[in-house]
Amino acid sequence: MKPRLAFFDFTGCEGCQLEVINFEQELLDILSAADIVNFREAMTERSDDYDIAFIDGAITTERDVARIKEIRERAKILVAIGACACIGGVNCLKNFYPMEEVLRIVYGESAHYYDTIPARPVDAVVPVEYYVQGCPMTQSEFVKVVKALLAGKKPEIPNYPVCVECKMAGNICVFEKGETCVGPVTRAGCNALCVTNGRICWGCRGLVDDPNTDSEKEILAKYNLTPEEIIAKFRMFLGYSEVAK
Amino acid sequence: MKYEVITKEDFPSFVNGLLSEIEVVGVKMKEGKFHYDKIKSYDELCLDYDVTLIPPKKYLLPPKETLLKFSLGGAIQVEPSIDATPRVILGVHPYDIKAIELMDAVFSDSNPDANYMERRRNTVIVGVDCRNPSPNAFCPSMGTDTTETGFDLLLTDIGEQYVVAIGSEKGEELLKKHARTREATEADLAQRKAAQEEALAKYKLSIKAAVEEIPELLEKNYDHPLWEELAAKCLSCGSCTMVCPTCVCFDVQDDLELNLTAGERFRQWDSCMLQGFAKVATGENFREDCTSRLRHRYFRKGNYMLKRYGKLGCVGCGRCIGACLAEIANPVEAYNRLKEGS
Amino acid sequence: MSEKESIYLPMLAELVRTEGLTERERLFELKLRNGDELGHKPGQFVEISVFGIGEAPLSISSSPTKKGSFEIGVRTVGNVTNALHRLEKGATVGVRGPFGNGFPLDRLKGQDVLIVAGGIGLVPLRSLINYVLDNRGDFGRLIVLFGARTPAEQLFLDELALWRQSKDMEYLETVDRGDENWKGNAGVITTLFPLFDIAPEKTYAVIVGPPVMYRFVIAECRNKGIPDDQLLLSLERRMKCGVGKCGHCQINNVYVCQEGPVFTYSELKNLEEAI
Repeated sequence: MKPRLAFFDFTGCEGCQLEVINFEQELLDILSAADIVNFREAMTERSDDYDIAFIDGAITTERDVARIKEIRERAKILVAIGACACIGGVNCLKNFYPMEEVLRIVYGESAHYYDTIPARPVDAVVPVEYYVQGCPMTQSEFVKVVKALLAGKKPEIPNYPVCVECKMAGNICVFEKGETCVGPVTRAGCNALCVTNGRICWGCRGLVDDPNTDSEKEILAKYNLTPEEIIAKFRMFLGYSEVAK
Repeated sequence: MKYEVITKEDFPSFVNGLLSEIEVVGVKMKEGKFHYDKIKSYDELCLDYDVTLIPPKKYLLPPKETLLKFSLGGAIQVEPSIDATPRVILGVHPYDIKAIELMDAVFSDSNPDANYMERRRNTVIVGVDCRNPSPNAFCPSMGTDTTETGFDLLLTDIGEQYVVAIGSEKGEELLKKHARTREATEADLAQRKAAQEEALAKYKLSIKAAVEEIPELLEKNYDHPLWEELAAKCLSCGSCTMVCPTCVCFDVQDDLELNLTAGERFRQWDSCMLQGFAKVATGENFREDCTSRLRHRYFRKGNYMLKRYGKLGCVGCGRCIGACLAEIANPVEAYNRLKEGS
Repeated sequence: MSEKESIYLPMLAELVRTEGLTERERLFELKLRNGDELGHKPGQFVEISVFGIGEAPLSISSSPTKKGSFEIGVRTVGNVTNALHRLEKGATVGVRGPFGNGFPLDRLKGQDVLIVAGGIGLVPLRSLINYVLDNRGDFGRLIVLFGARTPAEQLFLDELALWRQSKDMEYLETVDRGDENWKGNAGVITTLFPLFDIAPEKTYAVIVGPPVMYRFVIAECRNKGIPDDQLLLSLERRMKCGVGKCGHCQINNVYVCQEGPVFTYSELKNLEEAI
C-alpha cells in the first residue's frame, strides 16, 4: 500500500508548503509513489489517517501545542519542514520581548482576543524523526527525504558547515568581500545557495551538531561587529538556540 | 629537457588553436580573485595571477562525481560511469602541478582508480611559472616554486616572449601543431632562470625548518599543546581541506530517482576535519575531538603522505591560510612554532 | 586489474539463504552471479551494496574451505545493514572484494591458536575457526573464548553446541549477565583467562571484539606471556571505499582497508589512535 502523506501548517508564512506545490515533475512522481491525504494549501479533502506528517511552521500558541501532540499521536513519522518547524526560525525573534508586549504590538486593542507563548520548534514539544531545513526549506532536500522514506533509509543530511559547499561551489568567502555570515556554524545542505547568489548566510538551516560558536563570535568581532550586532545576527534564525541568548 | 620560445604576439593563436580541437580550462578573473573555468577564447585567459580559489584538482577529482548507474526495475543492472572529457588545463602554477603529481600517486597506487586515471590520461597540463605569488604562499620552503616534471608544457614569462619547457610528446605535438615557435637559445634560458629568480624573491612567508625536517618535526611533537590550542578555535568547517590541492578524501553515497527503480552511486569531496569523518555505523567516532582531527590533517600533509607516496602533502600554495577564518590553518606558523620549540 | 576497470563496480551476487542469529543479527549466504568463488582468506571483508541504499564493509563469516558461496553476519546498525535485513532469498546485492589482509594463516600454521571473540567479533573469527577445523592437522591447539553480553546475544547457536562437544578444540564461553536458564560462566571475557594454560611461545592470540575489549584482553594475553607480535587484532574503521583511496579508515599513516584490518599488537602499539 502506498504511504499516506499529510501536510500541516503552524505559525509561518507557509512558504515551505508552497515549495511543495511548486514542484512540477517531482510532485507527480511523489503522487505516484504516495497518497497525499491532507494538504490544506493544495486540496479540500482531509483525512486523519496518515503515515507521514510534514509540519510547516513554529509552535507559538497553546492550541498549537495541543494540535501538534494530536498529529504526533496519529503519525508514524513526523517530518519538520522549514526553519520555523525545524529550529523556530524568525518566529523566535519575539521571544526576546514580553509576550504581552508582543500581543499589543501586533494586535493593538484586540490583543486580549489572542494568546501567545514563546515560539519554539516542533521538536521542543514532540519528537521529530526527520528535518528538512531552510527558509524556505530546500526543495532538493525535501525530495531527498521523501525518497529516503520511500526507500526505507535514513536520509544522509550533512552535519558539517555551509563552508564545505560554499568552497565546492567555488565562491569567494563573504568575509573576503567585507561582509560577515554565520555559515561556518550553519548546517550545509543548501549548496550554499545564498552566497552563490551574492548574498550572505544567515543560518536558516540551523546549527551543526557540535558548532564552535565561540570561535565564530570571535571571528565576527574580529571583523568589527559589536557584541549587539553579533547577537542580532544569531537571533535572525537561531533565536531558539543558546548561541542567541 | 627541450625548450622552445613563443612570442606573446603568437601566443593567442596557440590558445585559439587548442580551443579548436579540445576543451580548454584556464584561469579567469572573478571579482578580483582568480578561478579555473572553461574558456572560449584567449581573451578570457589570465596567465599572471597569484593563486586560484580552488585548485585544478576539481577537474581531476570533481567535487561530485557519478561512479555507477543502476537500474532496479526487474533484473538489477549496474554500469560504471566515467567522465573523461579530453581537456587542456592552461596556466597551472608549479605548486599545483606538484599537487597533481601527488594525486597521480594516490590514485594510481595499488588499486588504480579508473575514473581518475582515465581523466588524467585525457588531460593536458600547460603550466606557467608564477610571477607574482600570493602573500600566503610559501612555495620556496616546499621546493615547489617551479618544477621540472608533471607538465606537458610549462611557460615562463620572459618579457615579450614565453620560454616553453616541453614535458611530454603530447605537449610537443600540440605546440608544433598550433604555435609558431623557435628553439630556445642560451640567452633565452638565462632569461628564464632570471625570471624564476625574480619571482622567488617575492615570496613573503617561509618555514624555518628545511623541508626534509618536517616529517620528523611532526613526529616528535605528536602531543604538543599546539594542536589543542588550534583546535579550540577550529570551526571544523572543512574550508582548509576543500581548497587544498592535495586533499583528495571523498564520501560515497547512493541516490535514487523518485520512482525508486533507477539511481546512481556518487562520490563527493569529504574532509578529515569534519566531525563525522571517522565515525562508523555503530556510532563509534575514532576522531571525535577536534584536536585529533586537526592533528591528523597536519600529519597527513607533513608526514603520512610522504611515507606512503614519497611526496609531501603540502605544496606551499597557502590557500588554507587564506581560507581559514579562525586563522589556524597556517602550516608556516605551525611548523615554525614546532621548530622554535624543538 | 586493468586500469580501465572501475574498482568501484561491484560484482552481483544472489542471496541464497538468510537466517536469524539473534534479535539484531542475521546471517546471509551469498553466491556470486558469475559462478566464481569469492576467493577470500579468513579475516578479510567485502563491501556489500544494496543498490539505492549504499555500500558497507562487512566481515566474511564463512571459511574459504566452504565452496560455492560465502556468508556474512550482519548487525542492524545503519542504512545498508537495515536494508539487508529486509531482503529476502533471491534478492540481488553487490559485492566488492575481498579486501584487507586477513589473518596471517602462514604464521598460524603449526602453532597453537587462541581465539578471543567478543560479541559479533565472532562473525569474522568463525571464518578462521572453521578454517582451522577443516585443516585440523595444520595447526596445534585451538582454544576458543567467546563472550557475549547475554545468552540471547550468543550467535551461531548450532555451531556453539558442536564446539562444546568437539574434541578438536577447547571451547570456553561466558556472558556478562546470565539469565535463569544460563548455567555457564558469567562475567566479562577476561574472567575466562584463569581457566586454561598455554605454551606462550607457540601461541597466537587472535582477538576480535568491541573496541573497549581490546585493552583488557591484550593485558591478559601478555600476562600469559604471549609476545606482542603474536597478538593479532582486527580493527573496525569506516572503510568506505575498501581500496585505499577515500581516507576514512586511516589511522595515522595506516589504511586499515589496505594494511589491515588485522594487525599485530607490536604494530598497533606505535599507532597512537589505534586502540
